[in-house]
Amino acid sequence: MFSQQPLFEMRDIVKEFSGVPALSGINLSVRPGECLGLCGENGAGKSTLMKVLSGVYPYDSYCGQILWEGEELRSRSTSDSERAGIVILHQELMLVQQLSVTENIFLGNEMRLSCGRMNYPAMHQRAAELLARLKLTDVNVAAPVMNYGNGHQQLFEIARALAKEARLLIFDEPTSSLSAKEIEVLLSIIDDLKRAGVACIYISHKLDEVMRVCDTITVIRDGKHIATHPVATLDENGIIGLMVGRALEARFPRTERQVGAVVLEARDVSCWDVTNPQRKRVDNASLQVRAGEILGIAGLVGAGRTEFMSAIYGAYAGRSVGEVWVAGQVVHIAFPADAIAHGLCLVPEDRKRHGIVPQMSVAENITLASLSDYARIVRVDSDSELATVEREIARLRIKTASPGLPVASLSGGNQQKVVLSKMALKTPKVLILDEPTRGVDIGAKYDIYKMIFDLADRGVASSWCLQNCLRFSV
Amino acid sequence: MTNMKISSSELRLLFARHKLLAMLLALALIWLFFWHQTNGGFLRPNSISNLLLQMSVTGMLACGMVLIIIAGEIDLSVGSLLGLLGGLVAILTVNLGWNTWLSVAVVLAAGAALGLINGALTTRLRVPSFIVGLGGMLAYRGLLQLSTDSVTIAPVPDDLGAIAQAFVPPGLSWGIAVLIIVLTCCLTLARRRRHHRLGLKVPPRWMDALKVGAIGATAIGFVMVLNQAYGVPLPVLILLALLGVFSWITNQTVFGRHIYAVGGNVEASRLSGVNVMRVKLLVFMLMGLMCAFAGIVTTARAAAGSPSAGIGGELDAIAACFIGGTSMRGGSGTVYGALIGALVMASLDNGMQQMNVDTSWQMIVKGAVLVLAVWIDVATRSERT
Repeated sequence: MFSQQPLFEMRDIVKEFSGVPALSGINLSVRPGECLGLCGENGAGKSTLMKVLSGVYPYDSYCGQILWEGEELRSRSTSDSERAGIVILHQELMLVQQLSVTENIFLGNEMRLSCGRMNYPAMHQRAAELLARLKLTDVNVAAPVMNYGNGHQQLFEIARALAKEARLLIFDEPTSSLSAKEIEVLLSIIDDLKRAGVACIYISHKLDEVMRVCDTITVIRDGKHIATHPVATLDENGIIGLMVGRALEARFPRTERQVGAVVLEARDVSCWDVTNPQRKRVDNASLQVRAGEILGIAGLVGAGRTEFMSAIYGAYAGRSVGEVWVAGQVVHIAFPADAIAHGLCLVPEDRKRHGIVPQMSVAENITLASLSDYARIVRVDSDSELATVEREIARLRIKTASPGLPVASLSGGNQQKVVLSKMALKTPKVLILDEPTRGVDIGAKYDIYKMIFDLADRGVASSWCLQNCLRFSV
Repeated sequence: MTNMKISSSELRLLFARHKLLAMLLALALIWLFFWHQTNGGFLRPNSISNLLLQMSVTGMLACGMVLIIIAGEIDLSVGSLLGLLGGLVAILTVNLGWNTWLSVAVVLAAGAALGLINGALTTRLRVPSFIVGLGGMLAYRGLLQLSTDSVTIAPVPDDLGAIAQAFVPPGLSWGIAVLIIVLTCCLTLARRRRHHRLGLKVPPRWMDALKVGAIGATAIGFVMVLNQAYGVPLPVLILLALLGVFSWITNQTVFGRHIYAVGGNVEASRLSGVNVMRVKLLVFMLMGLMCAFAGIVTTARAAAGSPSAGIGGELDAIAACFIGGTSMRGGSGTVYGALIGALVMASLDNGMQQMNVDTSWQMIVKGAVLVLAVWIDVATRSERT
């Protein structure tokens, strides 16, 4: 199928940070029209590899060769790579919300008239053409980007890449905030792009997507190239085995347990949209959770799971009504602090924005919610604080050289463990988990599941918000 | 070429790790320059005593301001608030003939209350603190002019003037110096123990010994030099005490930890159950209290309440914080850094005055130093996030 020369090739890439190797001898190659899946656990070196590839690290800061159409590519910056035709689509959307769709698509790459004026008619037309290629015909290209949802915005990013005449597209966890339907649209568009001869590198923790869209899979582990196989010869468990280096016999450490009395009940909770107060985001939702029970809350993106949970937790920004009962008594929760005082804890969906305080250390993040427990009057007793932190780090297998390091230096999975530990230290009656394993690798996922099951054994109820919770409904 | 790169990145690392050392080095260079330019006059005991006295007002404001900036806010009203509170103490003691200590207590309470109002406007009514400060800067200054009829109120009673003009008896100064040295030894030992337990790198013994030695030498030298003048000025002692209290708040207390958390990530802090509003309110209240301290000292030092007192004080305080390495985005900074920043600002003022530099040039130099200091800080940050 792919008889041509590789479009892009990396040979023996070695990248060190002050003597510590992050990548040691990575090889990969992509041919035109091929989609390469890049798999590896958190911290395996995928992000570093992508930064080398896209020119974030200039060409003399690593060893090895990068070949583009058979010739060595020496990028001094990302704009050099983009000029060659390599465009990376980041996990977070990189769009300016207030600018129009057209302005975003051509940002930094505008079509000009004389005196630096923007050639709007030409750009609007070209933008509409590009979007039509992506099967988007109902978009008003002159409207601000913020009028459209995440799924559309992701496609605008692709249109932007196409406007730059990208020949190699790199997708870094592109579907983490998309609904199932939007994911399907995205994947079919990648198929179209492949047919048009565009090469893709697809990075995702979601192996079903990787299996669906990729032709070849390269697995890296601890900065080393482990294997490259055609996708037809692999199955999900095979990929996992290559990623973690051993077969994970159980992906879900399930245990049986008795379910107790109702600890949390929410009755007739309704929430209204923040910007559009006429619109109901949650309409008379109710739930009951029993001690030791793990309740899955399913729903697509935008179904109102997060809004429902934050309303119970007192963290919803808009107007909300409803009754919350904890252990048989109605409670008033206006702020998250009230919820925590009643034994309700929340692990938010967006770790970076709502979970961690990046400048603070691992230890300070772990004890953030429970700091008063270590205080004698107002002064923090650092001895007992430290003892707890070390116990938590060992229990959850948080990989950090020291509890004094900034939490931002940890990998995503370990950051998530820190956030979980922070809330678990409040010894909650009910733990609300909103997508707790999003963007987390399989090894860390296992640790997180285990921790939740341990808590459940001790009678803590949990409610999970998951997009895909088929495996979880208890 | 590769060699040069490594050495420049190493320099960066050195700089980032030993920020305090770098700041002290810069300060030493500034002092050396002025010492040379004034034929040694700049470092005479009288001049140093004057410098520290001059610095103490900015330092008091900087103590409060650094907390505000760490919490991710800003307060532009402090210069006017200082003037208003300094005017108030003059009005109470001179015009109304109140007892000095009662007046001081009332002014401290008024400072805290006005700070709370600034905080409430920011947190409860959600007016951005920049705007609240801008409004306060105008309104408080206007209030001061209104209440003093724009005339200077003088002379203040002797016991009020003594707050800024008195000196600590030499013997007591020595006692305090010894106390500081003992305290430093204890704290260093405690930190070594803690680092050891944390699994952090424990610095070599000689390094800590050097540090304690340097602090001890500074304390002794400080007392020795100032005792050659008239002694340690009382406001300087107050400032040292404030340094201790504020360092303790930021490093040891739950409240202090919460200030950093709120400035680092408001949402994560709120969801962790931190009462964000209360933290910010308290920070603004402390700022108001510091304005009261600074206002009283200003009035006492001039022995008069002036309607123009404290003009530009907010800029000096904010500049001191940033020179001292406080992050613009909130979430990081230290009290001692801000005080070193205040000392840099005061040194520039004092040195250039002694050199008879034109005031317009003084402003240009101070502005340039502020930008330069923050540029160095930004350029030596290990990585952008």
